Amino acid sequence: MNYIKLDKTRCKACYLCVDVCPKKLIIKGSQPNSLGHFPVEFKDPDNKCIGCAMCAMRCPDIAITEVVKN
Amino acid sequence: MIKTTEKLVFESPKSLKAGMKFPFCAGCDHGVAIRLVAEVLDEMNLKEKTIAVASIGCSVMLYDYLDTDCIEAPHGRALAAATGVKRTNKDKFVLTYQGDGDFASIGLAESLHAALRGEKVSAICINNTTYGMTGGQAGPTTIMGQITKTSPNGRNEEYYGYPIKIAEQIALCDGTAYSARCSLDSIANIKKTKEAIRKTFEVQLQGLGFGFVEILSTCPTNWHLTPQESHERVRNELFQVYPLGVYKEV
Ligand SMILES: Cc1ncc(C[n+]2csc(CCOP(=O)(O)OP(=O)(O)O)c2C)c(N)n1
Ligand code: SF4
Ligand SMILES: [Mg+2]
Repeated sequence: MNYIKLDKTRCKACYLCVDVCPKKLIIKGSQPNSLGHFPVEFKDPDNKCIGCAMCAMRCPDIAITEVVKN
Repeated sequence: MIKTTEKLVFESPKSLKAGMKFPFCAGCDHGVAIRLVAEVLDEMNLKEKTIAVASIGCSVMLYDYLDTDCIEAPHGRALAAATGVKRTNKDKFVLTYQGDGDFASIGLAESLHAALRGEKVSAICINNTTYGMTGGQAGPTTIMGQITKTSPNGRNEEYYGYPIKIAEQIALCDGTAYSARCSLDSIANIKKTKEAIRKTFEVQLQGLGFGFVEILSTCPTNWHLTPQESHERVRNELFQVYPLGVYKEV
């Protein structure tokens, strides 16, 4: 299983990662963080993540702290 | 801890201070550019021998993010400071990280002469076509027609003249070993930018001369665009004026 680790306290809700995920596994969240932003959420119930790390490369705030590939 | 069958394909670079957070506006490309610099420092094992020179602009507190030695230069003087640092510490790896206003407006003489002298340092210039930190005034790289705080009707030739093409100008200097222009608008271009940063570092280590990369970046706040629209602007408007490419490589 491939997956990402998301630190929601770092996310500023620019949503650039939402556009680059080829599997559309990152969505705009509905719960605000301490910064008052609505950070993204990673939803992958069917294990579709390919571990490409494009979301992490795109993120300007290193809110995606790790990408793990199996 | 990840399992033994698992491979970490991305992690925060070691050359960034643990737990640091960038203060940039949401979606600003400065964060991507600094992370790429740190990734290349990691991969080339340069962290311990690096002295970075920070400039004035939104990236002014570079020393708060990079876990290397760092000094702060007055506005535009990063390459003058870097010259002194490198000439007195030839074994150190010296880089500057500067905005387009810092590099090509107030600091143009320092920048150009460092290239002409062939200083063995690496310079990174973030071209977001404006003075981001001070609220979005017109800068030397503001393109024709661009509306800013100080060009409310758009930049025109009669009043403001023309923008500077930094990577091309630096390539004209005989002391330059490498000069390129990259962009952070897409994943493919982010990867190319990382390779250009690596090349900029390599020419210093090989003693070939001045290494330079201009990175087309966004300033969503002062462009009054979303981060997504900002990258579209880079592609639709900036690429024509500032073509990507390697302008010099010795
Ligand atoms: C000597 C001096 N003049 C003017 C300023 C005001 N000032 C601070 S940042 C800045 C421009 C920064 O623009 P740029 O280098 O493009 O960096 P950005 O914020 O866009 O990344 C200016 C004019 C200053 N700090 N010092
Ligand atoms: S003002 Fe512009 S350049 Fe500065 S942090 Fe904000 S978006 Fe980035
Ligand atoms: Mg600028």
